[in-house]
Amino acid sequence: MNNAWIILFAVLAPLVTGMLTLLLPRQAITLKVLLAALGPVVAFAFIIAGSSRINTEFSQHALDHHADHATAHLDDHHHAGHDPFADIPLPTSEVIPWMPALNLSLAFNADGLSVFFALLVSGIGLMIVLYARGYFGPNADDLGRFYPTLGFFMTAMLGIVVSDYTLQMLLFWEMTSISSFLLIGWDRYDKKAVKLAMQAFFTTGLGGMALFGGLLLLGVASGNQGLLDGNGIWRWSELYANVTQLDLNDPWVVSAFLLMFIGAATKSAQWPFHYWLPGAMAAPTPVSAFLHSATMVKAGVFLAGRILPTLGTIDAFPWLLVGLGGVTMLLGGLIAIQQHDLKRIFAYTTVSQLGLLMAMYGLGSLRYAHGDHTLPAIDLDLTQIANHAFYKAPLFIAAGAIGHLLSRDITRLTGAFYKFPAIGAVLILAGYGLAAGPGTVSFQAKELFLYAIYHATSISPWFWILMAMTVVTAICNVAIFIRLTATLLDLPGGMGPYAEAHADDHHHAHEPERGFWGAMIWIPGFLLVVPQYVGGLFPSLWNQVFMPGERFAYYDSFSHGVPSVYYLITHPGWPLFCSMLALGLGIVVGFLPAFRRAIVDIHDTIYPAVYWLAVSGGGILFRIVQTGRLRQYTLIVLLTLTAMFTAAVITDGAMIAATTSTLAAYTNWYDHLPGIMLGLLVCASAVCIPATESRVVRVLLLGACGFSVVGIYLVYRAPDLALTQLMFEVISVLLFVVVLRLLPEDKPRPYRGKPIRIVISILIGLIMGWMTLIAATAERPIADDQTLGSVFVRNSAYGDPASPLATERGGGGTNVVNVILVDFRGWDTFGEITVLAIAAIGVWSILPSRRKAVTS
Amino acid sequence: MTTLILRISMRLILPIGLVFSLYMAFKGHNEPGGGFIGGLMAAATFAIFRMSSGAAELDKILPCHPRILVSWGLGIALVTAIAPLAAGEPVLRSYLWDIYLPGGEALHIPSAAFFDIGVFLVVIGICVGMIGRFSEELEL
Repeated sequence: MNNAWIILFAVLAPLVTGMLTLLLPRQAITLKVLLAALGPVVAFAFIIAGSSRINTEFSQHALDHHADHATAHLDDHHHAGHDPFADIPLPTSEVIPWMPALNLSLAFNADGLSVFFALLVSGIGLMIVLYARGYFGPNADDLGRFYPTLGFFMTAMLGIVVSDYTLQMLLFWEMTSISSFLLIGWDRYDKKAVKLAMQAFFTTGLGGMALFGGLLLLGVASGNQGLLDGNGIWRWSELYANVTQLDLNDPWVVSAFLLMFIGAATKSAQWPFHYWLPGAMAAPTPVSAFLHSATMVKAGVFLAGRILPTLGTIDAFPWLLVGLGGVTMLLGGLIAIQQHDLKRIFAYTTVSQLGLLMAMYGLGSLRYAHGDHTLPAIDLDLTQIANHAFYKAPLFIAAGAIGHLLSRDITRLTGAFYKFPAIGAVLILAGYGLAAGPGTVSFQAKELFLYAIYHATSISPWFWILMAMTVVTAICNVAIFIRLTATLLDLPGGMGPYAEAHADDHHHAHEPERGFWGAMIWIPGFLLVVPQYVGGLFPSLWNQVFMPGERFAYYDSFSHGVPSVYYLITHPGWPLFCSMLALGLGIVVGFLPAFRRAIVDIHDTIYPAVYWLAVSGGGILFRIVQTGRLRQYTLIVLLTLTAMFTAAVITDGAMIAATTSTLAAYTNWYDHLPGIMLGLLVCASAVCIPATESRVVRVLLLGACGFSVVGIYLVYRAPDLALTQLMFEVISVLLFVVVLRLLPEDKPRPYRGKPIRIVISILIGLIMGWMTLIAATAERPIADDQTLGSVFVRNSAYGDPASPLATERGGGGTNVVNVILVDFRGWDTFGEITVLAIAAIGVWSILPSRRKAVTS
Repeated sequence: MTTLILRISMRLILPIGLVFSLYMAFKGHNEPGGGFIGGLMAAATFAIFRMSSGAAELDKILPCHPRILVSWGLGIALVTAIAPLAAGEPVLRSYLWDIYLPGGEALHIPSAAFFDIGVFLVVIGICVGMIGRFSEELEL
């Protein structure tokens, strides 16, 4: 079996098991939980199995190269004289053919980055499945709806990370937007939640559009540059393999990158698109925990990581990512410290952390001089991301739990630890990770980030600003931790009862559920926070787990493990100084009553304002274009036709030649006398139509037109067309008889602009006539003097072996028109009757029957 | 329009019209005609009948909503179109069956005939439905 199938099964497993829970009886809650949990478990196992089989050779190489880098050293790890990563083989992808004719296939790339993300998604997904049981309790309605949607979400996210084919990734990317929309708007009857879900959907959907544009542009631009025989780069692995041939300063490539960056920035809630993320708090907490720690918002970070090794060398890359990331980081921290709702606090710290991750990828593309060679300015991306997941998910889980049982408003949580010690402990332990206290992975990760900035300052002193931003953000995080702990433990400095209690707090207290499933409200959080401390105290264990991913991620950076906390403390420098400064000042700020007033993020007004502008602007545009006047629409259609035809005549000289040759063929006009006379009859009745006032007379004149055309068909021996036209005339007369009496009284209108209309009519008439003339020459020989018409005629009844289009069978009928309609071009006919059916459905729904419906 | 003359003559016109429309629809593969024309013809017959005798009478001879006709027609056409896929052939691949009737005559049945029946039903359903719906506006 193709290994790609294993990955595909892994991706689809959560969706399938989620959907299967729908088949279980409503009350079989435990079975549902177990079945839903099976999805991420299967995904986890299959990802490991599939990836190791795909990338065995690749990873073995990498292992050989870096066996000596098992432990990390901040200062002396780049001792080799050459770039040690230059000769790692490229990651390969495996393909499941899907539509080979269109070059579409399912391609999966299982390099370190995607495997890491996939394991993160499925691992935390498992915890979320369990937590959802604790959170929703034995509520069959909620759980029955929740697991399928969560499975959909998980599949979408897994699909993003393992897709090699860029458009395939986009498909899953949009799936995350849709599934998160469903989850954020979970409470269908809460108008605010639905509105926020729309806000998230619009924002990330817009980013998805930009990403789509960027991927198309990159593929097309690379094709224009002659890459891959002009087919362009449509796979990440192709991009990695061919990046040296790609002209990165080509404006198309740069534009493609910018569009892709917009996609990443909206998904990862970078300023100024960050407002949707705190809004996404309307979702139930299991969703928030998943969304913020492992999924959706990380998709943008993942994308930045995907493009870093290749497009990262574009000049704008570091400045864009570092700039926006830094602003987002600072803003998120500053707003977070002023919030009162636990979920909002953590949402803004997530925004802040996402900014940090983006900035980190920006730094990752910088190279600084180190002795006689250059090196990337940063280590470790996966640690930074995993570290965030391992404190943010527990924070949300505990926040949801305590909000469920007590309140989510921090000012009402004084002494809550003594009431719910387990949840309180998870909150405090995870909060310590948020504060990046020594002993957690978070501390080392923050240290590494500061270290990277410090190295970047040797490239440009502007990076000191980023350093200051990071310190301020860290102070905010520490202060949040201090307040949280002081409040929970009822220490001085806690956020005691606040006069303006948060208005959003409408959560009423629930009785805690007892037993095993009741404990599920905090156990997943606890399990997730443990790695923070294990990794913090035993970095070699952490490295053993995450290093493989780092190594095989096909980066020439990000390849060294977490340093131990003792190493960092015994080797002080700027980074340590900044960390300690942040810790110290954070503790002070945490106990001070500063920044305690709950504020509203001004950016929350951006989306409503933009939405209002779009709606009203669209309304104005709509009123201009869609006037509801039929004659204006007709005019636009006909003028467009005229313009197109004129353009065609100007650009294609063959059309004039075709006209003259057709005209030249008609030498003996008197041979066509019957046709000409009937044509004159058509023209005469058509000209009379606008001249009369009465509707009935007009209908009759129109009928005269139609019946003359029937005559023309008969003269030129087209009985099928004549019959059709005849029946059509009959039906239309019937329709007119019915409809005429319904029309309002025909008042004589002042015919303003009549001359212009006459001119336009004549012009369009001439052009239609001209097109008919050209159509006469359209029957070009397709091969060996065979025209399409003659091929159809010959194959009509039985197949003609001599024909270039020959099939062994013909249509089985001697009426070639009908054979074309139902056989040769049968698919067109099918499309047409479908359109007719849709039109009929339109009529039936616009004009609902007032008669008692007929029962069949 | 429900005059006595029209109503009485419809008794004659209706069966002739319907039989002729069927004839048109089925002979269409070899001579002028076909599902579309036959459908229009049947629809015109039904429409005139409805005008002469009223909606209630039409319900008696066409005891289902026209949308049933449309959906059956679309369904038949779709099945005809995709049936060859089951045999690994392209969509709408045509087959020709020869059935030898007693007396030595052969009846040719091309698979496209079923497609034509689908078109026939769709066209009848649409035309009858639309004209009926517009007529209701008049009657009420």
